[in-house]
Amino acid sequence: MTRNEELTVTDEEIFAVLRAQIVDVLPEAADVEITPDHSMRDLGANSIDRMDVVIAAQEELGVKVPNSELTGAGDLRSLVGVFRRSLSARA
Amino acid sequence: MKQVGIEAINAYCGETYVDVPTLFAARGLDDSRIGNLMMARKSVALHCEDAVSFAVNAAKPIVDALTEEERSSIELLIVGTESGVDFGKSLATYVHDHLGLPRSCRLFETKQACYSGTAALQTAAAVVAASPFEGTKALVISSDVARPVPHTYVEPSQGAGAMAMLVSDRPVVAAFDHGANGFHSYEVMDTCRPDPEREAGDTDLSLLTYIDCLKGAFADYARKVEGADFVDTFDLLAMHTPFPGMVKGAHRAALRKLRRGISPQAVEDDFTARLGAAVQYPQQVGNIYAGTVFLALASTLDNAVVDRERRVGVFSYGSGCASEFYSVVVTPDSQRAVRAMGIREALDARYRLSMQEYDELLAATAELKFGARDFTFDLDRFPQITKERFTGGRRLVLEAVRDYHREYVWLGQGAAR
Repeated sequence: MTRNEELTVTDEEIFAVLRAQIVDVLPEAADVEITPDHSMRDLGANSIDRMDVVIAAQEELGVKVPNSELTGAGDLRSLVGVFRRSLSARA
Repeated sequence: MKQVGIEAINAYCGETYVDVPTLFAARGLDDSRIGNLMMARKSVALHCEDAVSFAVNAAKPIVDALTEEERSSIELLIVGTESGVDFGKSLATYVHDHLGLPRSCRLFETKQACYSGTAALQTAAAVVAASPFEGTKALVISSDVARPVPHTYVEPSQGAGAMAMLVSDRPVVAAFDHGANGFHSYEVMDTCRPDPEREAGDTDLSLLTYIDCLKGAFADYARKVEGADFVDTFDLLAMHTPFPGMVKGAHRAALRKLRRGISPQAVEDDFTARLGAAVQYPQQVGNIYAGTVFLALASTLDNAVVDRERRVGVFSYGSGCASEFYSVVVTPDSQRAVRAMGIREALDARYRLSMQEYDELLAATAELKFGARDFTFDLDRFPQITKERFTGGRRLVLEAVRDYHREYVWLGQGAAR
């Protein structure tokens, strides 16, 4: 997915799940306008926080994504793409 | 089937340490991340120490305490390491020699990242269990010496240490639950040592893989052990501890999965109650790779309340990856036996390095290149450390490499120089 593509509804839903999990793990991020261009590192998440977010997001979305794909994603936009592809593959 | 387990255990975690907050400050690392690591100190090897000398120093008190007859019943020596010194000749050959073990003994080295020590331990347990002879013993040592990568967030946890365990049919320290072993292994590129001086990899991937393996290995354990429950079956837990914060994160992830709806406070309380004792020594030593899970087990035995028979769930993980969840039973006698080894006292007695000394030590250590044919160590290069350290007891150190052969010497009281 490129930066110029419109987020589909599904992508927005995935992004909302990620954002909610990030705020849950990092309460201080609640005051930040989290965008798809942010990485979790940008938002102050350490390795344990990042792990908590992706595990919780998988639970919430009911999908198991290969770990190497999760850690290969840089910004949240890429991470949404990883989840979307995994959800599509399952469908 | 005879009862098999660990008869004796000992640690050697070096002569020196560096203070982790001091290291963070000196390297300009973000100190808000110290909380995530949960580390206070890390052990540092001297320039004249390697995985061989660490292994010997860990095992020497155990071997010395045996009678001649008991020593001659050691028919297997396995050294688990990812700090090998040769592609063909195993560390075990040198270790066997400097411990004075009998020639009627198998010896070899195992490699599978931080799982190598568990691979060695379980192999030894199987050999002892299968032996038709009473009193057969095996010596298992895990030994690793990090080559710290300065100015990275892994540097504060890259430690040095060896754990020695005598395996026999007299399991004073820990008795294995027979057949209670769960496995979970698959190929993944999380962390590796592509050459002897580098550690490479992806911390996030390693963390997620560790958690997958904890869940997977426990699921395999539960498939084999009727009624096994991650919370109720084990009074205590000891887990591979690259840094204690990782164990805390993995424990939290596992509990959320295995106990749906558990409150954050209940997770925290369970961590304190069942893993608080296990992370104490790793907090003082750092990651010692193959031996870390056994350092956690020794820490549990030294620091937990063991006023009756207790079952300990043990989780071993090695990048790449292989993992195992198994259980052992320990008693108040186990605790007495482990405390008598003086592991805490030895940790407390380490020399505190200044940052300058630490950097000088890393530079001195880097002078011996892997595969060097000849090299001579200046054993008096750090007199402020060695003069103080080697007056109290005997320690093996590496003196020279001559035509690829490593030559070691005992320093300390009564040792001939």
